[in-house]
Amino acid sequence: METSVVGKGLPKFDAYTKAKGTIAYADDFSLPGMLYAKVLRSKYPAAMIISINTARAKSLPGVHAVMTGKDVPHNNLRAKFGQSTDIGPNFEGLYRVLAEEKVRFLGEAIALVAADSEKIAEEALALIDVIYEQLPGVFDPIEALKQDAYLVGDNDTNLVSQFKIRQGDVETAFKSADVIVENTYSVPFKDHAFLEPESGVAWVDENGIITIRVCTQVIEHFRTVAEVLGIPHNHVRVIGTWVGGGFGGKEDITVESFLALLTWKTKRPVKLTYTREESFLAHSKRHPFVMKYKTGATKDGLLVALETELIADSGAYTYLSPWVLLYATVNAAGPYNIPNVKVDTVAVLTNNPFSSAYRGFGAVQPNFAYESQMDELARILDLDPLTIRLKNCLQQGDTLTTGADFGGSVAVREVAEKAWQALGPKRADPGKHIKLGRGLAVGMMSYGRLTFLHDTSRSYIKLELDGSVLMRSGIPDLGAGQAQALVQIAAEELGVPLEKIKIFTSDTSLTPLAGTSTATRQLYMSGNATLKAAREVKERLINKASVMLKADKTDLKFENEKIIRISEPDKYLALSTVIGQCSTDGDELYSEAQFNAPFTEVPVSDVITGQTFADFTFGAYAVEVAIDEETGEVNVERAVTCYDVGKAINPLNVEGQLEGGGVDSIGYALTENFVVEQGYLKSHSLAEYLLPTALDVPDIETILVESGAGIGPYGAKGIGEPACNAMAPAIINAIRDAVGVRITSLPATPEKILFAMLSRIK
Amino acid sequence: MKTNTKILASEFEYLECPTLAEALNCLSKYNGKAKILAGGTDLLIKMKSGLLQCQYLIFVKKIEALNYLISDKKTLRIGPMISLRSIEKNEQVKAYYSALFEAVRSMAATSVKNMATIGGNLCNGSPAADTAPPLLVYGATLKLSSIRGDRIVPVEEFFVGPSQTVLESDELLTEICLPDLGDQIGSSFLKLGRVSADIAKINVAVCLNRTGKSVGNCRIAFGSVAPTPIRIPEAEEILKGQEMSDELIVKAAKAAAGLIKPITDKRSTNSYRQQVSKVILEEGIRSAWQRAGGEL
Ligand SMILES: Cc1cc2nc3c(=O)[nH]c(=O)nc-3n(C[C@H](O)[C@H](O)[C@H](O)COP(=O)(O)OP(=O)(O)OC[C@H]3O[C@@H](n4cnc5c(N)ncnc54)[C@H](O)[C@@H]3O)c2cc1C
Repeated sequence: METSVVGKGLPKFDAYTKAKGTIAYADDFSLPGMLYAKVLRSKYPAAMIISINTARAKSLPGVHAVMTGKDVPHNNLRAKFGQSTDIGPNFEGLYRVLAEEKVRFLGEAIALVAADSEKIAEEALALIDVIYEQLPGVFDPIEALKQDAYLVGDNDTNLVSQFKIRQGDVETAFKSADVIVENTYSVPFKDHAFLEPESGVAWVDENGIITIRVCTQVIEHFRTVAEVLGIPHNHVRVIGTWVGGGFGGKEDITVESFLALLTWKTKRPVKLTYTREESFLAHSKRHPFVMKYKTGATKDGLLVALETELIADSGAYTYLSPWVLLYATVNAAGPYNIPNVKVDTVAVLTNNPFSSAYRGFGAVQPNFAYESQMDELARILDLDPLTIRLKNCLQQGDTLTTGADFGGSVAVREVAEKAWQALGPKRADPGKHIKLGRGLAVGMMSYGRLTFLHDTSRSYIKLELDGSVLMRSGIPDLGAGQAQALVQIAAEELGVPLEKIKIFTSDTSLTPLAGTSTATRQLYMSGNATLKAAREVKERLINKASVMLKADKTDLKFENEKIIRISEPDKYLALSTVIGQCSTDGDELYSEAQFNAPFTEVPVSDVITGQTFADFTFGAYAVEVAIDEETGEVNVERAVTCYDVGKAINPLNVEGQLEGGGVDSIGYALTENFVVEQGYLKSHSLAEYLLPTALDVPDIETILVESGAGIGPYGAKGIGEPACNAMAPAIINAIRDAVGVRITSLPATPEKILFAMLSRIK
Repeated sequence: MKTNTKILASEFEYLECPTLAEALNCLSKYNGKAKILAGGTDLLIKMKSGLLQCQYLIFVKKIEALNYLISDKKTLRIGPMISLRSIEKNEQVKAYYSALFEAVRSMAATSVKNMATIGGNLCNGSPAADTAPPLLVYGATLKLSSIRGDRIVPVEEFFVGPSQTVLESDELLTEICLPDLGDQIGSSFLKLGRVSADIAKINVAVCLNRTGKSVGNCRIAFGSVAPTPIRIPEAEEILKGQEMSDELIVKAAKAAAGLIKPITDKRSTNSYRQQVSKVILEEGIRSAWQRAGGEL
């Protein structure tokens, strides 16, 4: 299909204001009479709160409210974490606003203060007297699963969820295998480290509505906030700001409930912004996993069996752990055809920071493991990394390990070939102690939510009399161009230039709810809703124009703000003329459309079968690294990525997503290590938690495959999260290629690499 | 664990001293209760996390008379208020003081280097301070001033322990002086960090003179391997007066690695530091030798 705006790498409409620094992010906004909030956080990872005395804090001049769990109308909720469908107890969890009795992790919120200034609020925190009784706690998920383990919560087990996949008979299959590779892999916590820490301002409006202006990926948390306060859902309004990065870390509630409680109590506007260090303490992390993999193949390199056990550390609360674990389970075998598969996964509570959503959502951890396994198999069988993948990768018509069909396009072969071949001929090692190595990895990940979550999105388009267009969508824009994509779709359909379209986003009371900016779902879901809405208004204009031009409807096209007769291009009407006629005739000049994802039922058994996702995105990374044999230092010299994105609505933004996912994964592979010892954070600022800087990453070359076979608008697939696959294992495989050592735990620091090399020599 | 709260946790009075005399007077007047603020890139972080408190903060970065870099062919005099960025851009430094240039180039990012001063880097007393090893191998001296008068202290005697120096509470560092380094000199600085522009896991500087095929004078200094930046005289002795060769370099580097006793901390481990100290010292000696016109 020919398109004129869709498919163009146009600058985002928000780019200029962001570059100039004039966008008002969450913290850039203030109101007269505003108070400042601070949060008192637990000093211990595991303790019993014996008493909290707020008297001294309350009497400090300038303090307007001090609140503890007792002051929260509904402090303990059985939460669906932003879901609107009934998902059953296995996918719900406890949402506790402020710690009561048992403290479960270091930094858990215990009390809130609102005061005339941040400084007074901070002084007040020091005047809150909390008496704790320290408890032993449990910090290792394997320990936490044992019979007599310390119990993190109030249940009689630390087990959060478990899932299984059973296909064929692995035991027999391993007997027939010529080679078996067995390894245990581990990955640490990862922090989102978004540029903008959590922040918001809340106030009670003239109608008594609790209004919260906040940076979030999920404005739908207004319902949970209303339930915390015990007021009707329509009494809470969340206005989402432009978000300075989310990556899953702003998917759960952050400051919303705290702000709502304090503004409700004081009837004054309240601001709460975390510092970087507080942000590290307060929000979720990517799940650490321990992953046992046993992979068997024939001597020709055909996979015959896979047995794997994944243990995920959920940290102190459930949050999205069951969902993340389900993703990990379904992705555990990777994009390969393996006749016999046995997968067992568990998620376990500990007194560590809580884990929840992180870009890649459970697909990324097993990706590191299965792609390391493939690399080892290739080495044993003397196959090159591409060949072993081509022999085994999924093809069109293959099924998932759950038995579900893949829809659309399964382009594993194509992306792997293109990425690997783009590296070109090998270079000689540049210096005597610098060794070059190459690595390849592929990956798969769904886009769109778990199908049993019955996802929907709505979008609104309205034509103005002068031919300009107004759009409304609840979509939170995280900086990835979510809003821009919708505008490009409307511009394409209506033949209106981008500048003539204004979009209003992210307001639970005024914009149609578009669902969360998570799960790589917005282009797919809200893009489809927008396409539907645009085509509805287009249809009305065509009907009108066909009467006005006395032309057949199929003989009309929209171009340059005109409706033109295709057969006689000099016969046309200005769009505004047709709109004017519609208005005169009383026709509707707007449309609000809803798109529904395919629905399936909530799994009843822990053995997962059938469809859980609507479609998948496949991609590959090929990298070249240079390693200093004497220091173990790694430099990623080249990185090529190739993904089948279905259709690039805005190629510039797609490349941005791929590059961003790549950089994020370089950090995962090499530098980012969120150290938690016995529940205490050892990397609580950006001086200890090392993100790769501009000097640490290569130019990432991107190759886009456009199969047109996605289920998003114009055949698009989702790219945001899948972009975090493949880079990390490609780097680890390249290190193996360069210096012969297999790193099985991330990050691969120079310390690990150097001593692995030294012990190999001995 | 200390939390950075955005707010400077304690009350203090802020004083701006545009001249040296005023600064010294203030320091004497508030002796013990005042802290000097230069670029603030170390100090403010400590104040925000509550590690450091003071009643008076004396801002000295505007003292023009302490912001200079003067070289008269033989010696180099550096005003402590000069920014790291100005040092990095100075042609003289780049051409003749390779170790100092490489140290400053390796530090932080441009924005931080525009704020940060060389005086602050030294007076902060970090064992990892990147300008310390170069100044140690250049045999620099420091002028410490107070209303009681001036004294000159060799850099080697300046550092006492982590965050500790010989500075008295009423003293200001007012000049860094690099002596005549002689002919045929070469120097180098190397550092390993976790990412680019990071605080050093380990750093090393070497400065030597060449007399024909032999090493004349020679100094070696490491950072981040002891409570203070340190010289390794034993390794220097191995090189001095000897004909340069690969074997000699390996011997000196091996000896140095055997003498340091690094610790394990957030940035690295003792065994890694020990292991790579050899590697970076070898490399450091080689490039200093080559810069001195030597061949290998
Ligand atoms: C992001 C970042 C990256 C950094 N990277 C590096 C790096 O790569 N390598 C490195 O070594 N450092 C690094 N630093 C640390 C810091 O920037 C340097 O140490 C800098 O040189 C300190 O200078 P300043 O002028 O900011 O000192 P300030 O913070 O103003 O002062 C530091 C200390 O010295 C005292 N002081 C300052 N001047 C004088 C004086 N003339 N007389 C007496 N006392 C004085 C102050 O009272 C204070 O105790 C980094 C810091 C940041 C924030």
